[in-house]
Amino acid sequence: MVIKINYLVLLAIFSVVVFSSGALATTEIICASTTSTENSGLFSYILPIFEKKTGIKVKVVARGTGAAIEMGKRGDADVAFVHAKEQEMKAVEEGFFVSRHDVMYNDFVIIGPNNDPAKIKGIKSTTEAFKKIAESSQFISRGDNSGTNTKELSIWKKVAIDPKGQKWYLEVGQGMEKTQRIANEKRAYTLTDRGTWLATKDKLEMVIVLEGDPSLFNQYGVMAVNPVRLSESAGAEKVPFIKYKEAMEFISWLISKEGQQAIASFKDKNGNQLFIPNAK
Amino acid sequence: MDSIIEAFSKAFTLIINFNAELLGIIFLSLKVSGTALVVATIIGLPLSALISFKKFPLKGLFISVLNTFMGLPPVVVGLFVYLLLSRSGPLGFMGLLYTPSAMVIAQTILALPIIASLSNSAIVSVEPIVKQASMTLGATTLQVSLTIIREARYGIMSGVIAAFGRVMAEVGAILIVGGNIAGYTRVMTTTIALETDKGNFELALALGIILLAISLFINSALHLIQKKGMAQTNR
Amino acid sequence: MSLKLAVSNIWKSYAGNNVLQDCSFLFDIYGTYVIMGPNGCGKSTFLRICALLEEPDAGEINYFSNNNALKKDVELRRKITLVLPKVGIFNATVFNNTAYGLKIRGVKHIKIEEKVNSALDFVGLIHKRHHNALTLSSGEAQRMGIARAMVINPEILFLDEPTASVDQKNIEIIEDMILKIKKQGAPTVIMATHDTGQAQRLADILLEIKEKKISLL
Repeated sequence: MVIKINYLVLLAIFSVVVFSSGALATTEIICASTTSTENSGLFSYILPIFEKKTGIKVKVVARGTGAAIEMGKRGDADVAFVHAKEQEMKAVEEGFFVSRHDVMYNDFVIIGPNNDPAKIKGIKSTTEAFKKIAESSQFISRGDNSGTNTKELSIWKKVAIDPKGQKWYLEVGQGMEKTQRIANEKRAYTLTDRGTWLATKDKLEMVIVLEGDPSLFNQYGVMAVNPVRLSESAGAEKVPFIKYKEAMEFISWLISKEGQQAIASFKDKNGNQLFIPNAK
Repeated sequence: MDSIIEAFSKAFTLIINFNAELLGIIFLSLKVSGTALVVATIIGLPLSALISFKKFPLKGLFISVLNTFMGLPPVVVGLFVYLLLSRSGPLGFMGLLYTPSAMVIAQTILALPIIASLSNSAIVSVEPIVKQASMTLGATTLQVSLTIIREARYGIMSGVIAAFGRVMAEVGAILIVGGNIAGYTRVMTTTIALETDKGNFELALALGIILLAISLFINSALHLIQKKGMAQTNR
Repeated sequence: MSLKLAVSNIWKSYAGNNVLQDCSFLFDIYGTYVIMGPNGCGKSTFLRICALLEEPDAGEINYFSNNNALKKDVELRRKITLVLPKVGIFNATVFNNTAYGLKIRGVKHIKIEEKVNSALDFVGLIHKRHHNALTLSSGEAQRMGIARAMVINPEILFLDEPTASVDQKNIEIIEDMILKIKKQGAPTVIMATHDTGQAQRLADILLEIKEKKISLL
């Protein structure tokens, strides 16, 4: 009796909490992005500017590039903001995404222990450096199908080394910061994006051993989830949850003069510009 | 060693200077886990009563399965709920993925077997004489059952405490279904994981200390009530 | 208001051991019935079957009102009550334990307050109404059990060894209470005891269970 009444009260509280928090606000979109992009702090700088202008709230879910694209394919995001151009183009070709645009770039750098045991410093070519690390040191790989991981694998392909399963090659399956820290602990080398490196270098006993090679260029792109393709694969007439219009508004803003300026003016806490806008 | 001491001192500075973002994260943690606990109790208590009072085929197996589910790996639950709530999944039309509701659902699934199983143990261990006394005083079948549940209340509370500890400490499931969206689905444990990733050990540690303090506070409060009730039983 | 209890040819056994064999008796007048017999002779079983807590293996229990057999439903069960030898205390205050029967009958709060207080006064426990009942001594617990039974105004009150594990002082108090009930004329009391002296002191009608059968003495 008493118990029963308590139940009703609890049920009431529950429904209020759950259904209020689950309310669908039409002005929110989900952006699938990568951990490195989010951790750079870029989003917390530019998104409020966008929200103020348009009233659209962008909620960022950070995953590896592979997972971020997968999220879009499943319809769990409205827009993807990632940095693995080949994978992006493939997903567009398959029809899962539309309106892909270059937004900005930063570059990758190779980092290693302070004393540089493999003597990489001075080498200008990424492929040479990779060969030398394979011969005389250890390499820590993200191993998570991320943009950085994709980039790294393409370099191994170029030097015709298959690193998988080698003693000197550790696939850690973690985000960029964790991978850096593992490299730090293991006194090994790894490939990182410059943004993450600038944000974390003070906590690591590591240095850049190679930078500036044009092949380490890291292009970021944005693309909208294709609502038509999704509804085809779902067999339904329409997938009403993809907020295509708002996603396109976000993309247009990112590549507009205003959006590009916002990206350029974003600085890390040490005053470094992390991303160079290059939308066409 | 120095870095650990430094982390602790910074942690305490952060705790003293409570900022709004930190408070939001703490509040969301409590809201999500608290709601999950309430829902799991609303479902789990009648379920445990049903198991305790009714005979049905394969009852023993059912209880074994329930006991096994007490140790469900959070990431597996997270994956399951993700596939369920994904816009391509069967419940995708509800648009719940990456919302606090999704986190509540995942944690409810984690808490439910603990509450149901421990409540069942508590109910079946109530002395049969209580049931008989209730019957001799003219209780209907339903009233008898409610009386037995009342007698088991402190044991049931143990189950709720155990479930609370599990969901508050859990990170695997809510990370997958909540997405760790800043200011929206970011809770204490996911923030700790993220800040550790970023190498911000001080902030991570500060949150860890707060999490422990909250757990300690709630557990002691519940334990106190429980101890009071139990002490009276020993004569 | 005339409830009669007819016990016809009941048999009961536990795990193959016969406890009761072909017991019959008609409880049809008001007063105090006392069933005697040594420990383990089947008195408790007999009372539990009469109080509808257990079913006999064979035979029948029937309650009659104005010569109509009553259905064995909650309505009937609410007219009779049994105080168990160990009472069966709920983890709650003495007041709430005593109020239980009234609460489940949906009696109004003010009425409960009044009845429970007068019953606790009757058994001499009014000063302990806010104590947890689990802290009572066994004699006090037994008295509370009787108070808990009396508040629901039963037509038949079964008492199973009410003084079995109780000190001398409490035995006297409890016997005194039963004599008061007898003087009031209601409810009908059917009690079991192994204490012959007690049986003599309290009974209007003396019964005995001997060699698995019940008979008048």
